Amino acid sequence: MERKSFLSSLFIHACALLLAAVVLAPLVWLFVMSISPAADLTEKPLRWWPQAIDFSRYGVLLSRVENSAGAAFLASLVNSIVVAGMATIAALTLAIPAAWAVSRTPAIGWSLSMVIATYMLPPVALAVPLYFGLSHLGLLNNVFGLALVYLTILAPFTTWLMKSGFDAIPREIEAAAMMDGAGLFATLRIITLPLAAPVVATSALFAFLLAWDEFFYALLFTSDLRAKTLTVAIADLAGGRVSDYGLIATAGVLAALPPVAIGLVMQRALISGLTSGGVKG
Amino acid sequence: MSALEIENIRKTYGAIETLKGIDISLDSGEFLVLLGSSGCGKSTLLNIIAGLAEASGGDVRIAGRSVLGVHPKDRDIAMVFQSYALYPNLSVRRNIGFGLEMRKVPVVEREKAVLETATLLQIENLLDRKPGQLSGGQRQRVAIGRALVRKPQVFLFDEPLSNLDAKLRMEMRTELKRLHQMLGTTIVYVTHDQIEAMTLATRIAVMRNGRIEQLGTPEDVYDHPATLYVAGFVGSPPMNVLNGVVTGEGLRLDGSGQVVALPARFKAVTVGQRVKIGVRPEALRLAGDGAEQKSLDVEIEVVELTGPELVVTGRASGQRVTACLPPRTKLAVGATQAFAFDEDVLHLFDAETELALG
Repeated sequence: MERKSFLSSLFIHACALLLAAVVLAPLVWLFVMSISPAADLTEKPLRWWPQAIDFSRYGVLLSRVENSAGAAFLASLVNSIVVAGMATIAALTLAIPAAWAVSRTPAIGWSLSMVIATYMLPPVALAVPLYFGLSHLGLLNNVFGLALVYLTILAPFTTWLMKSGFDAIPREIEAAAMMDGAGLFATLRIITLPLAAPVVATSALFAFLLAWDEFFYALLFTSDLRAKTLTVAIADLAGGRVSDYGLIATAGVLAALPPVAIGLVMQRALISGLTSGGVKG
Repeated sequence: MSALEIENIRKTYGAIETLKGIDISLDSGEFLVLLGSSGCGKSTLLNIIAGLAEASGGDVRIAGRSVLGVHPKDRDIAMVFQSYALYPNLSVRRNIGFGLEMRKVPVVEREKAVLETATLLQIENLLDRKPGQLSGGQRQRVAIGRALVRKPQVFLFDEPLSNLDAKLRMEMRTELKRLHQMLGTTIVYVTHDQIEAMTLATRIAVMRNGRIEQLGTPEDVYDHPATLYVAGFVGSPPMNVLNGVVTGEGLRLDGSGQVVALPARFKAVTVGQRVKIGVRPEALRLAGDGAEQKSLDVEIEVVELTGPELVVTGRASGQRVTACLPPRTKLAVGATQAFAFDEDVLHLFDAETELALG
């Protein structure tokens, strides 16, 4: 469409704005809640914009005084970063060779389907066996134990995602590298991985988000600050007799920042189209 | 010693036999073209030589050494792929030098070899670009350069020109011929384009259904096709093939019963034998006033001027005939015209076996 009428372009812009509003409204409301005085949040009818802007809750959550809400929050923030980070790195380390192997050897594709099938089971079905397993290994209430559990979720998912990425890289490029004398490891390192960078970055981002947002296993397998993650810590804030909705919202805003930061860093790698020019087309 | 020997190579996928015993022996400096339509097994054969596929039986020897079970990188071969298969994330310089880099050739030596090859292919000004910034023809040159720089025993080309447009394809064809003449390399080249095969090859292997139909020089394959398939595949427009039967007076065409004299060299035919009569379109000419023995009466249907020649399509005894004539020839559509030909351009094939007779 080279020429668009004024009306149709107005319509398209209106739709885009509406979509943006729908996506952004909860986030904006979360932020507004985090800076509203407690009274404003329980008032009827609801006050959409606070009378006074109150950043004090950020101070509360980021305070490092011992045994305060802030210390608990920061400890869980660190736990979340450690658990999600470890699980993501371990998942990628396993998934890159696995996905490459499955992509280049169609005969063993069934094995990936079987792993994906286990992924379909509801988490609750695995909760009890996992609990006994972790308890046996002495890994309950431990960041390593939780990362291990997350790995079982992330590895199949990232393998599956990256397989489709490797599938898109022409096999002839690897055959050419092989004839040029590159070994398996050199081919993967110099040729295949750089071409697969966008899908590796996407997998890493999704894996991290999946681990970051996980609540069920974290609730079951952690009990105190040594391993408790953010999702559980936020739930704890809501679990008392008096809930400060503003405080929950503040925790939500802070919890959203690390994934956003990672997403921004990864954005460059997420730009695809790096494979163009290698083969015809 | 032969540069490449292929001995009774077979390949089966389950119950399907794609290669049914291929024997070829190639001297150093030869340019062998494997010619055939898709599915004839020519690419499979190339992959077996390259080591990208395993043969089910037989042997491949490069410079006298059996390479079955030898890793592709240790076979002393280089391959140019149909899709070029360049490394998109590496510069042209590294693309060309990659094989040397992997073989731990010192940097100074590698740089020199890359520059030499690039100069030969006239891409020395593109060395710092990425493949994505090149045109199709330039990418093709880089792919050829990547193979040349290693100076292997045998070069393998898998339909290297089929992704280029017609004009570029002709240019690259000439370029390849020039390179081969200059460097004297041994080449195995797969294509379905009979013009590429005719122009480039020192020998052509016409393949069909996993077998070699004919192995010979381009002149041989063109002038003396061993089977009806080869006769129809090589040459454009393809050879005219008319059904007929051998009688006492000569060759009687099916349909109207027009009789063409039987050249004396076909001694082996017997009266009553069913045959297919082949005449190349370019071997036909307008019959003059003189009494010419070998002629064919054709009812002219379509006359097409292509520029350098006039392609005439018509029917002889109801069977389609094409003739390529000089462009200034005057012809009336609908008229019946006698076309003359020399007796040595007539081909006869057995109607049953489709093998050449005489």
